[in-house]
Formats: sequence, C-alpha cells, structure tokens
Amino acid sequence: MTLSEIANGKVAPRTGIRLDNISKQYGSNIVIDDVSLHVEPGTVTALIGPSGAGKSTFLRCINLLERPDAGTIQVAGHTIEPGKVINAKDLAALRSTVGMVFQSFNLFPHMSALKNVSFPQQKVLGRSKSEADDRAMQLLERVGLKDKANQHPGRCSGGQQQRIAIARALALDPSIMLFDEPTSALDPEVGLEVLAVMRELADDGMTMIVVTHEMQFARDVSDTLVVMADCKIIEQGDPRAIMSDPQEARTRRFLRAVLER
Amino acid sequence: MSWLSEWAAYLPQLMSGLGVSLMIAGISIVAGYPLGLVLSVMVTAKNLAVRTLALAVVEVGRGAPALVILYLFYYGLPKFGIAFESITAACLALTWNSAAYSSEIMRAGLQSVARGQLEASNALGLSWRHTFFRVIMPQGMRSAIPGLMGVAIQMFQGTSLAYAIAVPELMKSAYNIGSQDFNYLQIFTLAGICYAAISMPATWITVYFERRLARQT
Amino acid sequence: MDAFSAVLQGLPMTLMLTASAFAIGIVGAVPLAVGLSSSNIVVRLACRLFVDLVRGVPIIVWLFLLKFGIQIGTFKFDPVSAAIVGLGVVSVAYLAEIYRGGLEAVPRGQGEASGALGLSRGTTFLHVMVPQAFRIVSPSIATYLTGLLKDSSIASTIIVAEMVFQSQSFARQHPTMEGILPYVLVGILYIALSLPVAYLSRSLDARMRKAVYV
Ligand SMILES: Nc1ncnc2c1ncn2[C@@H]1O[C@H](COP(=O)(O)OP(=O)(O)OP(=O)(O)O)[C@@H](O)[C@H]1O
Ligand SMILES: [Mg+2]
Repeated sequence: MTLSEIANGKVAPRTGIRLDNISKQYGSNIVIDDVSLHVEPGTVTALIGPSGAGKSTFLRCINLLERPDAGTIQVAGHTIEPGKVINAKDLAALRSTVGMVFQSFNLFPHMSALKNVSFPQQKVLGRSKSEADDRAMQLLERVGLKDKANQHPGRCSGGQQQRIAIARALALDPSIMLFDEPTSALDPEVGLEVLAVMRELADDGMTMIVVTHEMQFARDVSDTLVVMADCKIIEQGDPRAIMSDPQEARTRRFLRAVLER
Repeated sequence: MSWLSEWAAYLPQLMSGLGVSLMIAGISIVAGYPLGLVLSVMVTAKNLAVRTLALAVVEVGRGAPALVILYLFYYGLPKFGIAFESITAACLALTWNSAAYSSEIMRAGLQSVARGQLEASNALGLSWRHTFFRVIMPQGMRSAIPGLMGVAIQMFQGTSLAYAIAVPELMKSAYNIGSQDFNYLQIFTLAGICYAAISMPATWITVYFERRLARQT
Repeated sequence: MDAFSAVLQGLPMTLMLTASAFAIGIVGAVPLAVGLSSSNIVVRLACRLFVDLVRGVPIIVWLFLLKFGIQIGTFKFDPVSAAIVGLGVVSVAYLAEIYRGGLEAVPRGQGEASGALGLSRGTTFLHVMVPQAFRIVSPSIATYLTGLLKDSSIASTIIVAEMVFQSQSFARQHPTMEGILPYVLVGILYIALSLPVAYLSRSLDARMRKAVYV
C-alpha cells in the first residue's frame, strides 16, 4: 500500500486549491498583496522566495491559521471570503483536510510518538483509541519509525521528529498537505529522510504545496514552481524552465544566492 | 458619601503612618542592596568559612518569616541586654530580609553573564576589579533590575508587619483609628488602598522593565 | 515546658493554615488564570485588576479586614477562618499569575499545530497547553508553597495559635535568656519545613521530566 492509501484507508479524494486575489496586512505592514494561485488536484507546487516575502503567511492563509483581509479561498469544498463567519466544526473539518507540517515540527513534547499521531484522530475524527492507534502504528511504520512509537519527541532526532509530524498530519486523512520549510531546521543528511517521505507522498498523488529552499527537490518533484518576493508572486511555471531561464531579475538574483551557497 | 468624608478625616493621621512605612522600606532597601551584593559575592567565595557564613545569613533571611526576624530583634535580643527602639528593630529585620532576597537575585544576575565575557576580559588582561565592576556587574545588574524592584515592593509591604511590634507605621495608624470608633471596615479598606496605590503602579513598572529586558535579550 | 515543645504546639495549626490556603489557591487560580489569558479584553482586564489588587495589599491588611471589618448580620469571621480565607484569596491571586506565566511559556507553535490539526480550543487547552504549562510552573508552585508557609505566620497577629503565636507566648512567660529560644527554634523550624517541599519539587520535577519527555 502507498503512503496516502494508508493515510486515507482508500485512495485519496483528489482536490485542488483556488486562491484568488488574496491580501493580508499586519497593521499598516502589507505582507501579501493581491496574490492568486490555482493548484490542480494531485500536483506538487514548490514555493520559493527570499526571507520575508510572505511565503509562510500565504501558506497559513490556506488552512486559515491566518484570515486574509481580502480575496477568496476555495479549498476542500469550502469557500472562504473575508467577513464570512466559519463555525468551529467546519473550521476543524477544513483543517484536518488540509494537513500542515512546520519548520519546527511542533510535536507535542508530553506525548509519545504514537500518542502524537493517535490523539488528534480521536479528538478530531472521533476514532476509537484502538482504531487510531492502529492507524498511527501503520503510519509510523511507513515513515520508518515503528520502533520510536513509544518514545517521546525529545528522544528523537530532528529528522525523526519531522517524519512523526508528517505521520500526524497524514493520520487525519488530508487531501492536501502544506509544508513550511520542513527541512530548514535539519542537517542536510537528516533532511534527506524527510524529503524521501515527501517524495513518496508526491508519487502517491497527494496535492502538496511546499515552501522550501531545497532546489533539487523543487526541480525533481514539483510540477509547478512559484517564486514569491515582496508580497507578490513574481514568477510561476515549470520548475526546470524557471531555474534554467528565469524571466525576472529578482528571481535570477534569488536563485543565484540559493544555488551558490 | 459618608465613607469619603470619613476617609478625608482619617487621611492625615494615616499619611504620617505611610511616611513611616516608606521610611522603613527605604532604609531596608538602601542598606539591604549593597549588603546583598556583598553576600552574593561571598556565597561564591573559595574560603569555606566565608561561604558558609554568607549562606547562613542568606538562608535565614529568606527562609524564616519576616515576622520571626522582627520578633527576634525586638523581643528576643533584649533578653541578652541588646535592646532596640521598635523602628530600629523593624529596619534591621527588613534589611536582613532585603539583603538576603536581593543577594539571591544579584547572584543569579551575575551568573547569567555569559562565561565568554569573563574569558574575554581575562584574555584582554583586565584586572579582577575592572573585570568585575566594569564588565560583569553592569551586565548582571541589568538583568537583576526587575527582581530587585520586586524585592523593594515586597519590603514596602513587609513594613506592615512592623505593626506587630507597635511601630507607628501605616497599619498601626489604621488600627489605632479603628479602635477609637470601631469602623474597621472603612479604615482597613483605606489602608489597603494606600498600600495598593503604591504597590500596584510599582508592580506595573516592574513588569514593564521585565518585558523590555526580555525583548532585548 | 521547654521552648521547643511550646513551638511544636503551634505546628499543626501552621500546617493546617498552609494546606487549606494552598488547596483554595490551587483550585481557585485555574479559572482566574484562564481569565488572565482570555482574548476578551474586559474579562482579561478585570482579572488582571483583581490579581494586582489582591497582591498589592499586604496580607496582614486582608486578615484584619476579614477579622475585624466584616460583619454580615450576626456573622463574623473567627480568627482561623479569617486566616484561611485571607491566605486562600492571596494564594489564588499569586498562583493564577504563576499559571498564566506557564501557559504563556508554552511555545506558540504548540497552539498553532493544534489549530492546524483541527483540535478544538478546549482540547488544545486541556490536553496540549495545561500539561506542558504544569511542568513549566511546578517549581514555581513549590516555591510559592514555601512562601505561603512563612506567610501563615502572619495569622498570629489576629490571634491564631500557630507556631509564631506559641513562640510569642512562651517568650513572654520567660523574661530570662531562655526567652530568645523560641524565636530561634521557630525560625529553624520554618527553614526545616521548607526543605522537604524544595526536595519534593526537585524530585517531582525530575520525575515529571522523565515521564513527560522521555
Ligand atoms: N503575526 C505577525 N505580525 C506582524 N507581522 C508579521 C506577522 N507574521 C509575519 N509578519 C511579517 O510578515 C512578513 C512576511 O512574513 P513571512 O513569515 O510570511 O515570510 P516568509 O517568506 O515565510 O519568510 P521566511 O523565509 O523568513 O520564513 C515579514 O516581514 C514578517 O515580519
Ligand atoms: Mg517562513
């Protein structure tokens, strides 16, 4: 069975994302300025750009960790517009459909790896403990961490923690996965373990948006490369095309900086 | 309305009590902090006797209730022929308290200064005195400021215990007024307001410093 | 009777006062801490004002206010209940502030990750924030308990027969040199009593660290 089949029980319901004219500001500080992005079901979108470009904020708008000030979000059967009240139940449903993986893992330090993956299933999806534990065990095995099931995150390496975090998100049967620099806090070597899991997920046809500085991953795995700078999307398209022949000077400068490191 | 007019009548008497409270608090702080600094250095001394003595002074000053130290000075020592005025006893007891508490805070502050600072100073060939007074102390004291302000507030509130040895401070003045016409509710409420009027803003200022320090580091 | 047994006579009362006030504080501080970190500004400011006011007034004033100032119909506080209620309310305020600090010290990512998983606010609070906050604040709670033990001595000023009160009466009856003994002994006793709490907090801390994080 593939990773997303285990995650979903069956085959993932493939959904895409439509973001239209999204804007967001903190006080008078504009962070996202009228950005639109359409993501086809089952595709991988890599989001790159300099620090402070607004990538994280944009990603967090998709699962409504941030509410945009303007624009429309269509995701997982929900349409979100500014001012529209969304009740707690719908919000929980939306967020479990859209999995998110953070740069700093954010595992629950007081729970074992197994509990980290099992507990949200019980609370959000109402699964029984044994059902949730079984599913958690399957996923941990799949990300290569069966033997860490009873360890607390503090006892796991960064790469292991991040794979547990991915399992935790997958356990809620998401049809979309968001990754915010999942390997930036990891040693390059350890990052590879995590990238391998993500690659597998992509092969299974999971819809993914990945903020990353891993250019090789972006080139090999993503279907679309999106470049953000100064609160806007400045360029998007085929990853190889953009990397070999960027149209924007800003993109060129950024790529050179990343690749020359 | 009647409360307000009664309060207005009580206020002058209470204010002289407040003056005494502030004076005791001020003395215990002015005398206590330098002593605290000395103690904070002494507890890290290499000499075992010095270290033990300092530790004992600090542990008793922090571990025994202020009331007990107060009684020790006012009721206990006279039995050995060492007698103090009640105000002097209060100042001595609270000074011990504030020295003990502040020494702990200053020790923590000094220890928080990165080791690298000491190494850098040594590498530069700075003398012990310059290293301590010009490099370590300014940095350590900065992080100790909120804690020391907290001790000051604690000392101000602690002066209310001097009531128990009949020092004519705020609490004692309130009690005297109350026992004249038995309107304890009004007078202790007013006394409470007087204490709060000083302690609360002082706490807010402390919190402000704490936040600023937390942001900078 | 010797000084030590005189002081010991007050020990049960000291322990009772401390334990009762602590129990009130531990429980009562929970809703107040929630209020202190509420997103509703009115609730938050009201709780903040309560906490700062209670802490801004010395304990002895609260005890006198309760003991002498409160008379509702024929009801008046007896010294022991006044002490328990007074020390209890003060504990509520101090512990609420400690709890709030603990909740704030839980890394922001924890709340975000919970939100991103779709966990409800109640679940997030109970199962994610509280267990982590508790571990963070348990040493502060132990420190507060030793402070409360010392503060219970203030009850002697409203004639509660705890250790300091007993020391006082012994000293009064012994104008000789022996009269200084109870003060020395009671001071040592307070320090000795706070040792087990400090020890307990340290071992609790170590055990929980193990249970929670390993
Ligand atoms: N909660 C917030 N309040 C105020 N400003 C914020 C907040 N979150 C982000 N910002 C600002 O928004 C801008 C974009 O931040 P964002 O984290 O989205 O950038 P990023 O592209 O993810 O950068 P990085 O590569 O450093 O993660 C930054 O200037 C940041 O200071
Ligand atoms: Mg970011």
